[in-house]
Amino acid sequence: MRRTWTMLSLLLALSLALAGCAVPATPPAAAPAATEAPAQEAAPAAGAIKIGALYGVTGGMASIDGPGLNGFKLAAKQINEAGGVNGQMIEVIAIDGKSDQTATTSAATELIEVHKVVAIGGLNDSTFALAAGPIAQAAGIPFVTAGATLPTLPEQIGDYFFMAPFGDDAQAYAIADYAFNELGARAAYMLVDQAYDFTTALARFFKERWEANGGTIVLEDTYNSGDTDFSAQIARVKALDPQPDVLFISAIPNEAGITTKQFREAGLTQPIISGDGFDTPLIGEVAGELADDVYYSTHASLDNEAEIVQSFVAAYEAEYGRRPENAFAALGYDTMNLIADAIRRAGSTEPAAIRDALAATQGFQGVTGVISYPEGQRKPIKSVTIIQVQDGVYSFVTEIQP
Amino acid sequence: MSRAMDGVRRVDINGAARNLLVGCAYVALLATLLWLAQSTLNNYYLRILAVIGINIILTVSLNLTNGFAGDFSLGIAAFMSIGAYTAALLSLPVAMKTASFPGLPAWLQATSIPFLPATIAGGVMAAIAAVIVGLPVLRLRGHYLAVATLGLMVIVRVVANNWQDVTRGARGINGIPPLSNIWWTFGWAVLTIYVVWMVVHSPYGRAMIAIREDWLAAQARGVNVLRTRLLAFVLSAFFAGVAGALYAHLITAITPSSFSFVITFNIVVMLVVGGMGSITGSVIGAVLLTLLPEGLRQVETALAVGGTPLYGLSQIIIALLAALVMIFRRQGLFGGREIRLPGMVER
Repeated sequence: MRRTWTMLSLLLALSLALAGCAVPATPPAAAPAATEAPAQEAAPAAGAIKIGALYGVTGGMASIDGPGLNGFKLAAKQINEAGGVNGQMIEVIAIDGKSDQTATTSAATELIEVHKVVAIGGLNDSTFALAAGPIAQAAGIPFVTAGATLPTLPEQIGDYFFMAPFGDDAQAYAIADYAFNELGARAAYMLVDQAYDFTTALARFFKERWEANGGTIVLEDTYNSGDTDFSAQIARVKALDPQPDVLFISAIPNEAGITTKQFREAGLTQPIISGDGFDTPLIGEVAGELADDVYYSTHASLDNEAEIVQSFVAAYEAEYGRRPENAFAALGYDTMNLIADAIRRAGSTEPAAIRDALAATQGFQGVTGVISYPEGQRKPIKSVTIIQVQDGVYSFVTEIQP
Repeated sequence: MSRAMDGVRRVDINGAARNLLVGCAYVALLATLLWLAQSTLNNYYLRILAVIGINIILTVSLNLTNGFAGDFSLGIAAFMSIGAYTAALLSLPVAMKTASFPGLPAWLQATSIPFLPATIAGGVMAAIAAVIVGLPVLRLRGHYLAVATLGLMVIVRVVANNWQDVTRGARGINGIPPLSNIWWTFGWAVLTIYVVWMVVHSPYGRAMIAIREDWLAAQARGVNVLRTRLLAFVLSAFFAGVAGALYAHLITAITPSSFSFVITFNIVVMLVVGGMGSITGSVIGAVLLTLLPEGLRQVETALAVGGTPLYGLSQIIIALLAALVMIFRRQGLFGGREIRLPGMVER
């Protein structure tokens, strides 16, 4: 009996392992090392152009990566309906990075090695871009991050890494300038999430610009992503004398709503300002009517009257039955179009040629603004949008060129 | 938690020379397989294989504490984190250190050591942490270790988040040389299995199982309970530290949030599904639960409902599988048994 059990469990284990292997095992069996090179050279003329979409559509990044992937796929669909790129169709291969570094790196390798994509786009957070970027760099495949805004990413990773969004420096400068010039604030309070590259960098750039403008920081406080109770921080703000003119909160989407709600409930009425971490429906959903006098800088406003923005919103609504959830949908859309534009100009699907064409991008019209890469840089100079939330309703305020 | 003694029923140390020879043959066989994999598979499969090696190290070493000594440690993530940061800081090229770590002590900034000693250093640091935590806690009877190791995880994470000069805080360390590969991870995995096997089949191992089954009786028979439990815990932490070092050089970027409770949870599931108290069970559990999510991810994308892939399906299936194993086969796939490799002399 015991023997039978051992054998049975071994069999089960083996069959499960085989089942696990079965699907991915086909490509390498069909294409062993020897035939790889000629197959790649022969393919481009006929087959579809494979583009990888790497997003964490489950886990902590889901609320912004999900819309991002939708935007990405929408762009590919529109390109194909218009006849493709240089006569070839685009095939988007989307793999879930599960908001986990190990899964994200496996997914990046799978896209490159198994699916043989010629370029990869996606990822909205630097933690994951830092893990996946070097893999594409080593393989010589261009990687365009849709929403990771750490300004040093292209230098840290290498010459195959491009940013579709502006850097955190640009968005921090924009909201600092807006609060200083338009809201007339002089004394700022800062609350910074210590758990992310993004939040700490945003705070650093904000402080730099704020002090350069001549403003003062009255208190710099911290918390860690996942905290749900901000009463200690609020007590420290209330103890300040004089009170700050403006509350700068450097948060990821997860804490955007809850901080706004708790600060307002405690009777703090100063304007709350932040970066694109606040670009989430959560502010309105969690804080409701208390979401008042909130300003943040982000990539695009869906209320922007510009034709390109409105036609994107209409197409997204037609495809998915709802308005784009946030600017990351637009960034995903732009990322796919940016890659397609580079392939078109390169006249080739060679990754190296695509990279060179991407680096030479000038005046690309996207939903999130005009993208141009300055000579030798892979971080674009773009305009920054300021959005205001009043009574839980989001509206476009202005565009700033920092 | 009554467990049969069949895990150690048939252990006799004879035919040692023959076992050594046969063991060498198996290692040679594994090396041939790895070489075959290296020359035919692409980087994606090699990466998954490397992760399997790391997970085998973690599961087998955790088995020493949780399976054989009967303690319940949840310190995997903490020990991995310590090992990963230690090894990464030691192996980073000097040029990168001066650029990214201006606050690092001068001696550390000027040193860059090869992968193997860096990995061992990672393991040693994790073992030291285990001694510090284990010495007071393992004197107590009962499952205090679970809480203490959870506490350690929180402490390690907070330190990694705030010790800006050394860990770069939340930004983490990136650009770690990509030195991990299947040779390193499987080499360490074989060593881990060998060491754990030897310990379990030594007087220390018998003492561990005696403590697990009946603490008082073991003590009455003269077993040094603290020393034995500490040995299991520290050895397990050493290998977790090694695994952390291998992980850091595989992913090439680590942040404090890389080593969360999720990692601990995954390894505990591998151990429990494979069967606590069985080394072969740990190996199979680790292989199975590394391959399955990857395989299921293909299914997720293939089974598109109305054009939308079923993202998240793999997590549900894994959790369901773990629940089913617990309901229908609580002792795990292997219980306390081992698969005997043909040719090995056992009695």
